Amino acid sequence: MRGTLTIAWKDFKSLVNSPLFFFLAGACCAIWSLNFLNLLGDFAQRQMFGAESSIHFTVFLSHLSTVNIILLFAIPALTMKLLAEEKKMRTYDLLLTAPITATDIVMGKFLAGYGAALLLLTISFLYPLATSLVSDFHFGPLLTSYFGLSLLLAIYVSVGLFSSSLTQSVMFSVILGVIFILGLWFMSQGINVSDNPTVQTLMQHISLGEQFSGFIRGSLRVSSVVFFVSTAVLFVFLTQRVVESSRWR
Amino acid sequence: MIEVQSLSKNYGDRPAVKNISFKVNKGEVVGFLGPNGAGKTTTMKIITGFMAPSQGEVRVAGFDVFENPLEVKSRIGYLPETPPVYGDMSVEDYLFFVARLRKVPGPQVATYVRDAIDKTNLGDVRKRMIQNLSKGFRQRVGLAQALVSKPEVLILDEPTVGLDPRQMAEIRQLIRQLRGHHTIVLSTHILPEVEASCQRVIIINQGQIVAEDSIEGLLRAQSASRRVDLRVKRPTAQLEAELKGLNGVLRVAAEANPGQYQLEIDNRDETVEQIAHRVVGGNMGLLQLHVQAMGLEDLFIHLVTSEHGGAQ
Repeated sequence: MRGTLTIAWKDFKSLVNSPLFFFLAGACCAIWSLNFLNLLGDFAQRQMFGAESSIHFTVFLSHLSTVNIILLFAIPALTMKLLAEEKKMRTYDLLLTAPITATDIVMGKFLAGYGAALLLLTISFLYPLATSLVSDFHFGPLLTSYFGLSLLLAIYVSVGLFSSSLTQSVMFSVILGVIFILGLWFMSQGINVSDNPTVQTLMQHISLGEQFSGFIRGSLRVSSVVFFVSTAVLFVFLTQRVVESSRWR
Repeated sequence: MIEVQSLSKNYGDRPAVKNISFKVNKGEVVGFLGPNGAGKTTTMKIITGFMAPSQGEVRVAGFDVFENPLEVKSRIGYLPETPPVYGDMSVEDYLFFVARLRKVPGPQVATYVRDAIDKTNLGDVRKRMIQNLSKGFRQRVGLAQALVSKPEVLILDEPTVGLDPRQMAEIRQLIRQLRGHHTIVLSTHILPEVEASCQRVIIINQGQIVAEDSIEGLLRAQSASRRVDLRVKRPTAQLEAELKGLNGVLRVAAEANPGQYQLEIDNRDETVEQIAHRVVGGNMGLLQLHVQAMGLEDLFIHLVTSEHGGAQ
């Protein structure tokens, strides 16, 4: 456990102090700010013309989907260095000859990446939070949405970490990470592939979009939480196997 | 302290280490000597638990590397060929990180880091970023990293590679100072390094141990032959063949300069006399005839170039 925390703290500091993180945070802020202002403007106009609409579904939901799309690309860029760079710089030797297990290494790296990802998510939360100063709305659905998004980020980080463990090249790690995450999202498209109801139900269950929709509507489904957590655990486990297997090659 | 038993490692179909066995006693400084690609790094990586062998077993302080990897790893300090340093950390932060990673008890971390910095003379650069340090300093940081947990065993893979002569001398001096405090296995292909630092030498070539003894023992075994440096002004085309044909001449190698030869001969003075007679009699203009006892370098070249080196 101490090994995990040592690695997590060191990597977290190195991640959030890196120029890359500043760049990502800056780019995220710029895009989200423009987008959020536009959404608010549209919403205000519609209110003026007397249209009935909820701020959650018109403004926050669009904001959340932008946040998700940006983070889908930003997280693999954030996690790319976690293992690929260690291999390239030969610091991997240090980790693998230290008296810690492969699980300690991978958990430490995951926590570091997840911490940095949550920091980006916190930035995105500032926008709805600031809106609450000038507008009254129910925080419930917003909080469940953010909770769902934080679980989704755990998957992104674990997938990013997994792709980082497969290669020495950081660029390839990013590309691989994005492909894997997009793959998970597009899995739900498989619903139309087969007429078999069993296959359709299965596809529905393993679709990120389907599981996430509950959180947006403000409901906390245990099955969705279990699905997100176990997907993240699966990829962390796969990474652990890759790290462990490097001893046998 | 370290027991290696019938160790083999294959990379795919290519064998890197073939069935080697050796022992290193507590407190010993052992030099692991061999040309590039001989299997030194592979053997060291297996001892540190970085990779698994294809066959055989390794025990450190009585613990099997594969059954109790954590016990073994906590007793070993390892300096790989490329020092495993993070450029974006300061020297001190890095050593604190390694000390914690190597499970140094919390309250002692600061003392251990200070000791490692003192031993490797890094005091002046402790606050500097590692990426801004010269190669020599980085190598010292690598050494400090191996020392920081005060391990019983130190495994150093080519600790002076790429350094300038002054930095090499400093690192060797440091290794000499560590003698007695740690059991040290040091790999290198630089011979003066072994002569300067090690009590015992294991010579490895093409994945096999070709010699294992103290430096004196190896030289004694080799004292049955001597080396002759020969330089003549007007060498004839057959000279090399003629020298080879002489009774008592074991080996002849022509050097890059025409007329310059290196010979390995037996211990008899008659052999030297014959060589001189042949050169002077042939009016080739003898410029140099220098007879000397074999050094470690000659022995090394002899062992790694002769096909039957394994018979040693």
